[in-house]
Amino acid sequence: MSKGYHSLGDEIVSGSVPVAASSDRVLQFQDSFSNPGSGSQGGANGSSTGSGWQSYFNAVSYRPYFNVDTADVVERIRDSLFPFKGDFVEKTSHNPDMYGPFWICSTLVFVTAALGNFAAFLSAQSGSWHYDVNKVSWAAFMFYGYVAVIPLGLYFVLKYLGVVSGLVQLWCLYGYSLFVFIPASFLCVVPWDIMRWAVVGVAAVMSAGFLAINIRSHVKTASERWFLIVTSSAALQLGLALVVKLYFFTYFYHDSLVHV
Amino acid sequence: MSGIDRMNLNTSSQSDIDEIESLFNISVQPATLEVPQSVPPARKPSSPPTIPVSAPLLPPSSVSSSSQAFSTPAPAGPTLSTGFGGGPQYNTLTEPVWETLKRDLVRVSNNLKDVVLPNPYREDPGKALRDWDLWGPFFFIIFLALTLSYSASENKSKVFAVVFATLSAGAIVLTLNVQLLGGSIIFFQSLSVLGYCLFPLDVSALVCQVNNTKLFRSLVVLVALAWSSWAAYPFVSTAVPSSRKALAVYPVLLLYITVGFLVLANN
Repeated sequence: MSKGYHSLGDEIVSGSVPVAASSDRVLQFQDSFSNPGSGSQGGANGSSTGSGWQSYFNAVSYRPYFNVDTADVVERIRDSLFPFKGDFVEKTSHNPDMYGPFWICSTLVFVTAALGNFAAFLSAQSGSWHYDVNKVSWAAFMFYGYVAVIPLGLYFVLKYLGVVSGLVQLWCLYGYSLFVFIPASFLCVVPWDIMRWAVVGVAAVMSAGFLAINIRSHVKTASERWFLIVTSSAALQLGLALVVKLYFFTYFYHDSLVHV
Repeated sequence: MSGIDRMNLNTSSQSDIDEIESLFNISVQPATLEVPQSVPPARKPSSPPTIPVSAPLLPPSSVSSSSQAFSTPAPAGPTLSTGFGGGPQYNTLTEPVWETLKRDLVRVSNNLKDVVLPNPYREDPGKALRDWDLWGPFFFIIFLALTLSYSASENKSKVFAVVFATLSAGAIVLTLNVQLLGGSIIFFQSLSVLGYCLFPLDVSALVCQVNNTKLFRSLVVLVALAWSSWAAYPFVSTAVPSSRKALAVYPVLLLYITVGFLVLANN
């Protein structure tokens, strides 16, 4: 009878007299629930639609991850612009959301693709510009891939090192850390290469700093290898910024006309 | 009951079946003379044909009029709500093709008028687009993708693929977004509304073919964008709790701006 959440739900619904053993299971259930980091997915599955694997395909069972209001999202975005506070993870640990990461990524995909094309249009000689639709596909691949895969890798690394951290929290952190690239893309339209490098540099430092400081405050006490983790995740973020700059906002002029 | 049997028929038994069908149709729709008219000419007995014989599908007693979009001269018979927001339940197999097409076309145009033009039921989510369908959105998406792909100077097939994928995946994701934020909407009805709201952008894509100056195109696309967003806004904003309205509306705007940009940037 150790099916865990499945049988627990059945017992409560059927109104049968709870046995002493099941009350233990009640405590166990609440325990894992009150630990927001690790077992949140399992808890949500057990409590919402009941059956184990089918709830992964049901939209309703993901609702706990979208339980944010407009004010919450705006506040989290504002927090991501101040990298030196380091309390983002703590603030969102009770309610990590997936709305922010997903729509920030989508916005980024659109913004970089559109503004990259627009910047090419501004810099190009007349008549030789055409809309490069590959930018959309590559932007989607890069941003969605980065936000989906890197936190997954980090989660496994942290698990290996014994640090407790929720996957959704990491997704939330990485997603919001990318927000600063949206205003940066708008500024990169200006066809002045030095300014583009400056803008991307500042955005990259802010974003990587936000990420690094938050991961540090989360991981520092729990493992001695925290410095390595922090610097490698920051380096990956800087790498992403570099790729964004080079792919979307760098143009080699056909004549030898020199722009500053 | 049930069953569609196929059998070899002589002309005599064919006329029996025709009679039964026409009797059924007359009893259900006393006002129309079209249906019995349309049945005999269709049966030119040339060689012993095999025709699918289906038993009458409906007892006439279970009739309810839920769909009110049927103000047309087409056989307006008993309409029950099917999974697709309404439709005739009698045997439509024997009607002329034009009747079938006309019914769908009329429905598409009615839905379009409901969604895109100002109408007093816009704010009421219970009344908006009761008789939704997916043909309209399908046509609009394909049309937009074809237009943009046709006018693209290179990578034509890639443009088509990107536009089509963006629009269809975007509609699905937007619907999921509303559901995840706690709103309750019917999945396909939402797809339908978002598809119909694409109509102004279709028009703008067509108009942009005519004139290639950047200023003109920007204006046209801007107007179309505003129109599309205005059409989609009430449906989406009433579906979620009011503290999350902006969260639900922003992605809609994002999708339409993306499509607008694709229209604008095409050359």
